[in-house]
Amino acid sequence: MLDSFEILSTSGVVLWSKTYVPVGANIVNSLIRDVFIEERTKPAADDGAGSKPMYKKEGYTLKWTTAKDLGLIFVAVYQSLVHLTWIDKLLDNVRALFTELYKDQLRQPYTSAVDCPFDDYFDRQVQELEKTADRTATRPFEPTPTVEFTPPSSSGTDNGPDAPPPMPGLRKAPQKSVYSDTTSTDATPVPTPETSRPASPAVSHLLTAKGGPPRASRRAKKKASATSAPQSSGDESPAHRMRDKKAAAKKGARKWDDFGMMDEDSTDNLDYSTTDLAGSTDAPAAVEAIDSASWGKRTGKGEFVLKDLDEEMDSILANAGAKKASSEPASGIVGSSLGAVSGLFRNVVGGKTLTKEDLAKPLKEMEDHLLRKNVAREAAVRLCESVERNLIGLKTGSFTSVDQTIQTAMESALTKILTPTSSLDLLREIQAVTAPNPLNPLAAPRPYVLSIVGVNGVGKSTNLSKICYFLLQNKYRVLVAAGDTFRSGAVEQLRVHVRNLSELSAREGGSVELFERGYGKDAANIAADAVAYAAANAFDVVLIDTAGRRHNDARLMSSLEKFAKLARPDKILMVAEALVGSDSVAQAQNFNAAFGAGRRLDGFVISKCDTVGDMVGTLVSMVHATGVPVVFLGTGQHYGDLRGLNVKWATRLLMS
Amino acid sequence: MAWHDADSWLSRSFGPYLSTILLAAFVSVALPLLLHLYIYRKTAPTSLPAFLLIGPSGAGKTALLTLLERGNPSPTHTSQAPLSVEITLPSDTAAASNKYRSASDPTAQKNSRFLLIDTPGHGKLRHFASAQLVAPQNLKGIIYLVDAANLSSDSAGVSGSSSSGLTEAAEYLHDILLALQKRYTNTKTSKGPGETPVLIAANKMDLFTALPAPLVKAALEAEITRVRDTRAKGLLDSGIGMDEDGDREERDWLGDGGEGKFTFKQMEEVNVVVEVKGGNVVGGQGGEVGEWWEWISRQL
Ligand SMILES: Nc1nc2c(ncn2[C@@H]2O[C@H](COP(=O)(O)OP(=O)(O)OP(=O)(O)O)[C@@H](O)[C@H]2O)c(=O)[nH]1
Ligand SMILES: [Mg+2]
Repeated sequence: MLDSFEILSTSGVVLWSKTYVPVGANIVNSLIRDVFIEERTKPAADDGAGSKPMYKKEGYTLKWTTAKDLGLIFVAVYQSLVHLTWIDKLLDNVRALFTELYKDQLRQPYTSAVDCPFDDYFDRQVQELEKTADRTATRPFEPTPTVEFTPPSSSGTDNGPDAPPPMPGLRKAPQKSVYSDTTSTDATPVPTPETSRPASPAVSHLLTAKGGPPRASRRAKKKASATSAPQSSGDESPAHRMRDKKAAAKKGARKWDDFGMMDEDSTDNLDYSTTDLAGSTDAPAAVEAIDSASWGKRTGKGEFVLKDLDEEMDSILANAGAKKASSEPASGIVGSSLGAVSGLFRNVVGGKTLTKEDLAKPLKEMEDHLLRKNVAREAAVRLCESVERNLIGLKTGSFTSVDQTIQTAMESALTKILTPTSSLDLLREIQAVTAPNPLNPLAAPRPYVLSIVGVNGVGKSTNLSKICYFLLQNKYRVLVAAGDTFRSGAVEQLRVHVRNLSELSAREGGSVELFERGYGKDAANIAADAVAYAAANAFDVVLIDTAGRRHNDARLMSSLEKFAKLARPDKILMVAEALVGSDSVAQAQNFNAAFGAGRRLDGFVISKCDTVGDMVGTLVSMVHATGVPVVFLGTGQHYGDLRGLNVKWATRLLMS
Repeated sequence: MAWHDADSWLSRSFGPYLSTILLAAFVSVALPLLLHLYIYRKTAPTSLPAFLLIGPSGAGKTALLTLLERGNPSPTHTSQAPLSVEITLPSDTAAASNKYRSASDPTAQKNSRFLLIDTPGHGKLRHFASAQLVAPQNLKGIIYLVDAANLSSDSAGVSGSSSSGLTEAAEYLHDILLALQKRYTNTKTSKGPGETPVLIAANKMDLFTALPAPLVKAALEAEITRVRDTRAKGLLDSGIGMDEDGDREERDWLGDGGEGKFTFKQMEEVNVVVEVKGGNVVGGQGGEVGEWWEWISRQL
């Protein structure tokens, strides 16, 4: 059962909504945050034919579609427990209807209000689609169209007419599909092979017990009968099937009629569903009886208004389908050359509606450009895809070419990716942990623990010393723990750094000490000891160095989980070289996943940024692969060569 | 009749014929007119005074915008794009410049209209707001909306010395004020960017956990002081020397010298007048936004 359906604008205003069961606003908000803004969950989006992307949150499933040019998002929310197969179609239809009906209002600038009496349209769409869904679901041998849980890209089998017919005789005539080019506005149902075999009583019972309002339970029962149909239908005789076919046809007609008689007939409606369940033997008779009556009613005057609405709706949807078809390139020399000329003109002047074909070439160039900037291929491709998703269907602004449009879109995509969701003020965080809190005396001050991980030779110890230097300048007492018990010389190297640093910082007021236990011991235990030692000796910050490890070395990587458990670092930073090429994505992902459930990396330190000039693509690759922000950049050989990331600077270098 | 004949269209169009002259006259008059109409329709009524709505996500900016536009707030979700809306002052609050105008003066109507620009508050989307600050078009003021129910320190996280809501609000406000200050100090012309009034609108006063306006002000000032301290000590960022305005290596502090306690009064030196007023968008009849209306009308 659909819980809620909302139509909202990208600026956040809900233009229209229909709520069956109240759903907290935070559900849709987190969809917007996670999918649209932070792009944490990558939607396998596919405009049009394929099934819609979806998102799950707190037991709800959300499916959505967008109308880019008008800045609209259509979201359907329902309980994850129920399978609704017609949501995709509903989203498509509602989008087509809504954009067509209110496009003039939606294009109005300087207003957020849209006067949209959309309820009727919506209700009828839902009813109609539920009906067809019920019908399709009862088809025997049909691969169940509940494809929701497979990734959208793989589910080419919509419940449309192109579903492979299991038996030649059973091929279903094309049902009234909105995007089918047959502009049949008539709703005369096409006979469908269908069994109205009852569900096994046990199943229906269970579901009835669960169902709340009568309508819902009725649908649940139908569902039950739908899912159980394939098993029971194997032994059907042709005659039986024929009769059922007839019944189904009539049933469809009758229901169509029910729209007209919505209120009066509601009791019949329920009645009908019970007979439907009661058994196949007496069902056809009952159906026929009601049927003939409603055939008569159908010609009556009572339903004129509603029928008009239906016709309007159908014609809009048919138009939308036709428009889609006609958007294929015009045939003939005259048509194509005229199109080319006007396309060229619009490219210069603007106002061109972007299609996949328009974007293909400039996007490819953009991708190459990004690759030249050392962005990993994977990240570049995904960036271009997201830009494409955002641009298809948009109109270019006046006096902007396609290239320019892509340029700005890519710039803002990069800005969005690189900008951290929350601020990265290390000093504030340290202050929060180490300073006594008058309001919350239970949270006793403790040392702030920061650890550094990374592949061999990327500059972990060097960057650790730089961070240490930075903290010392701020007058903190720092304990450096030598957690690299693996590579010979690692501890000595740190000792040199610590000696240098304590000399440098002697005047500034900070102090630093080294915590070491020699080689060969378990790094996780040493780290835990170091934290305990720091707490006992009133250190402010513990910096833990770790052994470098290849990100595909399963044994060493798995020890990170224990490390995270024992040392419980407040922050885990991963050091990566700016030079690293295509490997960066795998590195980032493996390290991000190495700390066990519930713990991720907190940030990246990108070292050796001074050596790559403007090829700072690694930044993008790492962030794009994990959603983890870049906290520091190493920009030289001195202790002071550590910088925060300036997003504007990075995007400018990348786009240059 | 070839193109070089005496009465071909080409010859005619260069000859001294009345029709040619008339046509040329018509084109030369109509073309600029049409062009003007075309371009004028495309561009915004820029002459309208504009107010910018800024604030952390969930503060109620979009809700406020719909309330001011329609009289009752519509349901909203997290914004992803800015939105400009034209709003007319309610008749009971007259614009300041209209005080001495008679009620029947037609310009009075015009002066009570303004644009309200809503911006997304999500951390990744704040560049919309900062872009508006850099290139203001007839910007009359900034409304910084905060969720007053999300500032109180007793709702603090386990480890924080202050709640994350307060920190976020203060950091964002700090950045905005810093941008305003930079804009002031960077303009060399005597004209300057003029006065930029900032209204800190403490929203959600209908909730019992909300702090009253004076407390909101105190909490924000204290938190901004802290933000300023750590920012001052923090690392330089990689964009140093990138902007046109400077190879200046030194950083900008908010307020004078960046020492001691920060107060909003310090901003008046750079022509930024900050006021804090409470209200609520939701709850009651059409919310409680009288003080904010009054502030807006004073700026017009
Ligand atoms: N109780 C109460 N709730 C409010 C008030 N004002 C707004 N809200 C609610 O706060 C929530 C967030 O409001 P929005 O207007 O969407 O927030 P926003 O500032 O636009 O957030 P972003 O678009 O993400 O930047 C909505 O659910 C509002 O109903 C108020 O005065 N009182
Ligand atoms: Mg908003």
